[in-house]
Amino acid sequence: MEAKASSPEWKKVSAELLILSLVEARPRHGYEISRLIEQRSGGTVRFYVASLYPLLYRLEKRGWVEGRWVERAGQRRRRYYRLTPGGRKVLAAQRRGWQAFVAAVNRIVEVEHA
Amino acid sequence: MPDWKEEITRRLQSLKLAPAREAEIVEELTQHLEDRYQDLVVGGSTEDEARRVALGELREENLLARGLRRVEEEAALEPVLPGGGGRSNLIGSIAQDIRYGLRMLRKNPGFTTVAVLTLALGIGANTAIFSYVNAWMIKPLPYPQADRLMVFLSHDKKKGWTGEGIVSTASFLDFQKQNASFDQTALWAGWNFNLTGDGLPALVEGGRVSWNYFETLGAKPILGRTFAPDEDRPGVGHVAILGWGLWQSRFAGDPKIIGRTITIGGEAYTVVGVMPGTFQFPLMGIANLWTPLALTDKQRADRGSSGLRAFGRLKAGVTPDQAGADSAAIFGRLEREFPLTNTNLTLLVGPMGDEIAREEGAPAVMICFWIVALILLIACANVANLMLAHATSRAKEFAVRGALGATCGRLVRQLLSESLVLFFFGGVAGALFGLLGMRWIEFEIPGHIRGYLVNYGHVDLDFTTLGFTLGITLLCGIVFGLAPAYEHSRHDVNPTLKEASGQASGSKRSAWLRRIFVSAEIAMAVVVLISTTLLVKSFVISVRSSPGYNSTHVMVAQLSLPKTKYAEDWRWRSFGDDVLARIHALPQVVSAGAASSVPFGGFGRWTEVEAAEKPAPRPGEKLGAQFTAVSNDYFSAMQIRLFKGRIFNSADAPGNSPSAIINETLARDLWPNEDPIGQEIRFGEQHTVCTIVGVVDDIKMYYLRERPEPQMYVPLAQFPSATLGFVARTAGSSPTVATAIRDAIWAVDRDQPISSVEPLETLIAIVNAGYSVLTKLLVFFGALATFLGVIGIYGVMSDLVSRRTHEIGIRTALGASPSQVLGMVVGQGLELALIGVVVGVLCALGATRLLAAGLYDVGPNDPLTFIAVPIAFAMVSLAACFVPARRAMRVDPVVALRYE
Repeated sequence: MEAKASSPEWKKVSAELLILSLVEARPRHGYEISRLIEQRSGGTVRFYVASLYPLLYRLEKRGWVEGRWVERAGQRRRRYYRLTPGGRKVLAAQRRGWQAFVAAVNRIVEVEHA
Repeated sequence: MPDWKEEITRRLQSLKLAPAREAEIVEELTQHLEDRYQDLVVGGSTEDEARRVALGELREENLLARGLRRVEEEAALEPVLPGGGGRSNLIGSIAQDIRYGLRMLRKNPGFTTVAVLTLALGIGANTAIFSYVNAWMIKPLPYPQADRLMVFLSHDKKKGWTGEGIVSTASFLDFQKQNASFDQTALWAGWNFNLTGDGLPALVEGGRVSWNYFETLGAKPILGRTFAPDEDRPGVGHVAILGWGLWQSRFAGDPKIIGRTITIGGEAYTVVGVMPGTFQFPLMGIANLWTPLALTDKQRADRGSSGLRAFGRLKAGVTPDQAGADSAAIFGRLEREFPLTNTNLTLLVGPMGDEIAREEGAPAVMICFWIVALILLIACANVANLMLAHATSRAKEFAVRGALGATCGRLVRQLLSESLVLFFFGGVAGALFGLLGMRWIEFEIPGHIRGYLVNYGHVDLDFTTLGFTLGITLLCGIVFGLAPAYEHSRHDVNPTLKEASGQASGSKRSAWLRRIFVSAEIAMAVVVLISTTLLVKSFVISVRSSPGYNSTHVMVAQLSLPKTKYAEDWRWRSFGDDVLARIHALPQVVSAGAASSVPFGGFGRWTEVEAAEKPAPRPGEKLGAQFTAVSNDYFSAMQIRLFKGRIFNSADAPGNSPSAIINETLARDLWPNEDPIGQEIRFGEQHTVCTIVGVVDDIKMYYLRERPEPQMYVPLAQFPSATLGFVARTAGSSPTVATAIRDAIWAVDRDQPISSVEPLETLIAIVNAGYSVLTKLLVFFGALATFLGVIGIYGVMSDLVSRRTHEIGIRTALGASPSQVLGMVVGQGLELALIGVVVGVLCALGATRLLAAGLYDVGPNDPLTFIAVPIAFAMVSLAACFVPARRAMRVDPVVALRYE
């Protein structure tokens, strides 16, 4: 079982990284998360319902995020997700791993061009 | 407004979620699609377009369901780091580890099967052997406070031998009076009783015992009572106690058996008690009838050697060492008081349990115990190697988890749990294998012996044995699980993630560990194989060695004439001659003879001998010899070789000058540089003098492994015997001769009980049965150790080739020939094997010294074995390397270089 950059493994890890980092600052609901990802990536990365929510539920089961129904005046209730303390630690580790990976790839890529 | 709910609900149907959960998901996703729709409409899309795009978020029909299914069914994985949520309690995460471990095992059926089977073989062998260690050496004897029971063993301080007897009856009685260490001491002797009336005449095995025999052991009868003190006197003691088996078989379990009169040796005895079926005294063998010892005054005063044995129960507070010192002091005094008979002789005191264990073959069991322990280590090394290889292929998985923050300790715990799950299954399978092994050994032990082994030779998977099995499983699981656990918990993320080829070559340390394991297991396999080969060789030599006579096609019938009917010795002679004549007349019989005791018949007599014309030996220096009275035709019937002089003939008639024939060993001992023919030999209490007329070959009387002992023979005509063994040689195997011999005996006396009519080979086989079982076990163990060792090498080499396929491809592409590749692979494998073999041989040189006592005619460092076994092992290892090597040879460089 390998985890190459293009393989589903890393895609999964990076997807988790995205979501965790977006709820770091404040709780958000699912649609908000998907909109932010599309906007901040300039349309490069898109999460559809069919993939976003299974992922959110998985993170919730692992205890990295916590979901809660919130009712606001005049609105239908929505489910907001916030980062848990455990999730915070995971986010930090994933960030480090991702940065290390990116640095390594960059080193190879740079050499080729030289 | 489009109906999002219906679309979403339809896609969730196949999941069959709980209604509340489904409603929640539907609500959330509906909200998402609604938001999307609104955004699109606000952004300028038409309603239809917005609806189409929003629905597109759901993608293919079953994508959502697939994604959610994985999540809903996924076991809640623990937070990778401790402290996450409320789910990280120890038991919960251990349970998760176990579930995960089970899943890993299910996903790799090949690995799991091989590992579990390997462990099952190793653990099973240990369980089976341990059950016997438990039964014979750990479990207490079936008597109350059995650790207070001691046996007495006579010991010659100068010559160094220890015997089962009591030095002499008179000495022991002195000891009984003078000692301060024992509450009770009891004497006993095995005996065969002639039972007549109440059925066919039968010879029943049992014992003559002092009145307090049962009391000292603490055994109680189920009917009646045991003997009273005043019944243990000659003339008075015509009482008997039956065993449960005899009571049932001969007396139909008569409830009124107490007080009934039975006929033993032609005399009337009153039954006073019946012992329960569970009563056993292993030193006596199978026993179903006991009468009082009733020693006469003459016997009590006898200071010569005694055939009696004894045991005692220690007084409270007295240790065995103190009792031993007491005995040494008393016998020291007796030595000074009776120098003629007691010089150098003393009585040792030892725990009864140890003596029973020794007689039952505890040394052999212990040898097997250590051998199977080594085999278990070999099996565990194999499994550890398998796990190391398996873990290496999961290196990426562990690297990613490490990157995600899993601590070293966490991963170690998980790998250890997986290992324990694997070992658990191996342990369960091992317990079953062990049970099979126990039953097989039990089946192989002949019924004749089984009856008087402690616990009736029956072993169980009881708590102790199960506890042992669990214990070794756990221990091995932890120790051998630590290697892969430690190894792969410390992977550095970057190198592993950077691997371009799919083959993680594993860390150097992993490869090293595997090599060490393989060499170690080969070393152990070599030690086991050498040890078992030596022991098996011993057995084969002992079985093949000539016993001094030709034992094929010889039928043996043994009996004992009751003194009541045959009071005078001329009657014994007459009976013997009559029967022998009838046996000679049988058409099947080629030759026949009679003797007072036959080889492997279980009976025998000893006497002290000296050369009549030489000065009397000093006290303590007297020579003892086996003493047998034989018919004239005995030597020719048994085909015992005559070296000098003649065998007995009609000149050796009653009234004529007594003759004797001696064996080579006795001739050498008494007349080392002279011709013994014509010399005179003095023997026995009466100091009878005989003239030596012949010298014959040494023969084996009791065991195939016995050293040559002095033996002397006298003519039955001049020294008639009440115990007789008739030997009849037939041309080939003859199924009818046994009945014919019985009829011949009963033709002379209808009521004469016959103890047995069996082929001599059977008698020998029965005595040898223990060794026979042991040898079969050893052959199995040797083969198992070799098999496991070879599998180990094959596994490592096979894995090595897979791993280095890329490298091999490069070499081939660069011009290496197939035979060079072959040489490289085989060379590596052979190197590992040779290291193991050399270490194994060195260890074996030391280990086999411990076996020396159990070997027969084979030295512990037998050169042939020490050369042949390593060579054989090296060759087998070579063959094991060959298959993966051939695979390496056939690697196509193009494919190999692309090998991911």
